[in-house]
Amino acid sequence: MVKSLTAIAIATALLFGLALFEWFYVAEQFSDFGEEVQTLYDKTDNGTANAEDARAVQTSWEERKSRLHVWIPHNDVNKIDDYMAEAVRLIGEKEYPLALAKLEILLHLSKCIPGTYRPEAENIF
Amino acid sequence: MTLVIIRTAIIYVTLLIIMRLMGKRQIGEMQPFELVITLLIAELACIPMADASIPLLYGIIAVVTIYVLHEIVTLLDLKVKPLKSLISGKPSLVINKNGIDDYQLKKNNLDVSDLIESLRSAGYFSLDSIDYALYESNGKFSALPKEDYEETQTSLPLVIVDNGKYDRKNLQIAGLGADFFDKLLKKEGVKKLKKVLVLTADGTGKIYLQVKGEKYRTLKTEYPGGKTW
Repeated sequence: MVKSLTAIAIATALLFGLALFEWFYVAEQFSDFGEEVQTLYDKTDNGTANAEDARAVQTSWEERKSRLHVWIPHNDVNKIDDYMAEAVRLIGEKEYPLALAKLEILLHLSKCIPGTYRPEAENIF
Repeated sequence: MTLVIIRTAIIYVTLLIIMRLMGKRQIGEMQPFELVITLLIAELACIPMADASIPLLYGIIAVVTIYVLHEIVTLLDLKVKPLKSLISGKPSLVINKNGIDDYQLKKNNLDVSDLIESLRSAGYFSLDSIDYALYESNGKFSALPKEDYEETQTSLPLVIVDNGKYDRKNLQIAGLGADFFDKLLKKEGVKKLKKVLVLTADGTGKIYLQVKGEKYRTLKTEYPGGKTW
């Protein structure tokens, strides 16, 4: 009885601890990534962004990605990978209007992906 | 992850309720909540293992959630008596001194032929050789035979009428016509065939008859032409 109750308490604490950690961690990672993309977006909008700026954001994302793989489905990570790579190429070629479109998608993803892991009815069912 | 925990809990509870509603037929020597675990664990472990796009952690979290739920349900099952019957169900007494309890059979999604099959598996071939029979909460079948039950099992009884309908195949095996049994039923005061829950006939001429809502009766008859089997 005591053993069972202890096991239940430990496992429940572990589950909810991990769930809370995931919730805040994923939100924070995407919030930081969103800020970086927003800066790049503003620079691109002004026509001052260059390939190095874009690559810096991409490198930062690559680091985050290696940690996020543990917490979120890999398809979501790949989606960002693809748009990021396209944006880097377009900025390098000074194709700013096209790059802005890709960056807007990245901004949207960085806002909506953490929301898909919240325990809300639309996500549960 | 919170989503995985909530979704796992919803599926677990839903499966548990469904298993309980399905009755004893779906359970094989396991309590309903044990069967639910068996059904879920294999799938939960396999999906993240085979699909590389799902983090392995999702599978681990789901399995740990199932473990927690299982431990809670096991504790409730052992310690809280009123919940025990709700979670695991109660044994169903399907044969008593009056014969077959049709209500209990229906409640567990079983019919007379399922009961006769269970009796045969337990080594009892004649319905009147049993005083009590029940399906345990885990679906296992238990029977208490009459003291002299071996003497009543002299020939293999065939089910002639099962829930108001003739079993044509068994009539053919017995080599008897439905009209013979129609006359026999009329003689016994049974006006409609659909009122008969079960009628079995063995090779020595022993008939087991139970009309719905009545106590069973056994009769001795002689088949046309002195037929035996």
